[in-house]
Amino acid sequence: MEQLIQELKEHLIEELNLEEITPEEIDAEAPLFGDGLGLDSIDALEIILILEKYYGVKLANSAEAKPVFYSVKSLAEYIEKNRK
Amino acid sequence: MADKRVDIYLGASAMRTALGNSSETLSAMRRGEGGLRYSEEFGMYAGTAKVTLLEGFSRFESLLIEQIAEVVNQSGISLESDDVQLIISTTKGNIELLADCCDNLSERVFLYSSAERVADYFHCKKSPIIISNACISGVSAFVIAREQLCNGRCKHAIVAGCDTLCEFITSGFASFKSISDAPCKPYDTQRNGLTLGEAAAAVLLTTEPTAEGGVRVAGGAISNDANHISGPSRTGDGLYYAIRNAMQEAGVSRENIGFVNTHGTATRYNDEMESKAVAWAELDKKPLVSLKGYIGHTLGAAGVVETILCAEQLKSGAIFGTKNFSSSDTPHALQISAESQVSEGCACVKTASGFGGCNAAIVLDMGEQKGNIHTSTRKVRVAAEYTLPTSEQPFAEYIRAEFKALGESNMKFYKMSDMCKALYVSVEHLLSTEGFEETEPERRAIILANSSASLDADIAHQRIVNRHLAEGASPATFVYTLANVAAGEMAIRHKMQGDNTFFVERENSGLAEQYARSLIENNRADAVICGWCDLLAESWKVEIKLLKTDNNH
Repeated sequence: MEQLIQELKEHLIEELNLEEITPEEIDAEAPLFGDGLGLDSIDALEIILILEKYYGVKLANSAEAKPVFYSVKSLAEYIEKNRK
Repeated sequence: MADKRVDIYLGASAMRTALGNSSETLSAMRRGEGGLRYSEEFGMYAGTAKVTLLEGFSRFESLLIEQIAEVVNQSGISLESDDVQLIISTTKGNIELLADCCDNLSERVFLYSSAERVADYFHCKKSPIIISNACISGVSAFVIAREQLCNGRCKHAIVAGCDTLCEFITSGFASFKSISDAPCKPYDTQRNGLTLGEAAAAVLLTTEPTAEGGVRVAGGAISNDANHISGPSRTGDGLYYAIRNAMQEAGVSRENIGFVNTHGTATRYNDEMESKAVAWAELDKKPLVSLKGYIGHTLGAAGVVETILCAEQLKSGAIFGTKNFSSSDTPHALQISAESQVSEGCACVKTASGFGGCNAAIVLDMGEQKGNIHTSTRKVRVAAEYTLPTSEQPFAEYIRAEFKALGESNMKFYKMSDMCKALYVSVEHLLSTEGFEETEPERRAIILANSSASLDADIAHQRIVNRHLAEGASPATFVYTLANVAAGEMAIRHKMQGDNTFFVERENSGLAEQYARSLIENNRADAVICGWCDLLAESWKVEIKLLKTDNNH
């Protein structure tokens, strides 16, 4: 899990153009949206792509998205549970 | 100094949509028939248009030429005159040609180049004006045409809009998850996205009244949400300002309005936003219609096609049903019906909203003339000027250092396209000595022009599509494939809710500044950022000014 979290942070930084931020600076349990990293709805769509591209995980429905997208940790847990 | 009244009449028109030419489109719509079908090519429902290719011209150019030629033939107006201005509205022009020339750009993918080819076909005396402002382009074109005609820059204008579909566009909208899985259902409880369509349309605007009076473009306005570059406003304030200002300019009251023809794309948030704006304008008791269920969202053509159809609805006194609609759950109840509704009133409102947070509204009026007499009395002063220096450094390094030198920590900066970053840094400098200060957000405007539109970002998106379409395009890349999104970013940053228009032309003719000055002279804005903003493949040129009213005169 630790390794997955680290890897996810790197993908997020790369794919969401989070320049000036290191993986260490992202708190795995802090909210991704709202304040913090300043992510918005376009980033949410990009995260869906990251899940599909690197982990082959598709979000079953959009109602599921909110708790899954809460933090890096919740994303990692969802990937663990759903990847084949 | 008040000059004489200028009235602008809609004249001859032509269109080609998924339902056919003008008469075929009208009769199909009267029968309630739509033209949206499943497209194997794009893997989604779409409204594709039948194109008769002209030798040596692209689909986009052929479609445009066909409509303009029809208007020229019907009206007898020749574009070979100094008195006639061609205004072209498009979001992406010949973008289908980009797939094969990312590494070695063909000039034909530049909007100015395809517009010039069309203009040359008609031996245009004046250079065409190109408006590329996302999905409001078509409605914007009428606002720009009004400015040209009211200020005596021409006596007639032909407004022509067109966009065609290709993978570039369909993959981008798909990446935003905004495509409907069935023909789109505007305002319906079950709506789940838009359906794209192809179309071209052209219409004559003239200052010479026709014998029977006819329909006038009586007023128009453009605004910005200053909220988000892709998500519609949560309050509808931007669209409300555009509707209110257009009605004020037209001199019409609510009683005069017979119906409202909104953008009505059938995405969840667009239709919600529109219901709020229409209610705010107190037009929610008027019959309302979206035409997207018949022909789809035709992008840069939408405003032109639908304005022509508004004039038809106004003249007949009956509005079309909103196809595919059954029941609504928008925050404010609207008067929508799948069946035709009676329109009582001599005027109507046509609106559009698009990426970059932009909104536009125009008022068509066939009643007595009641618009304000056009005056241009206010003086303009140049409050500040800024030119972004060139550099030997790679752009990424250069702009990063410039951004840091500003002492900024805005994380959003790093997500922006390169052109947008160049503009961001330039605007920070421009506003550093004398900012907007007490100017109201609604009275702040941004008017830009360039030669490459968003080609730099277009190439980035096209490369993703070429490389791995199966994985899907990147929404964060696609959103910047509209040049006006750079203006939208500035609108958010500096809370600018007034006009935001993006022109494309081969070289800087001063068009953006001319229009910006006119906004202040005609009391439509108090402070305007205007100028040239171009970036393509490591080469950039940003030259901008801040214009303000000169209170000392």
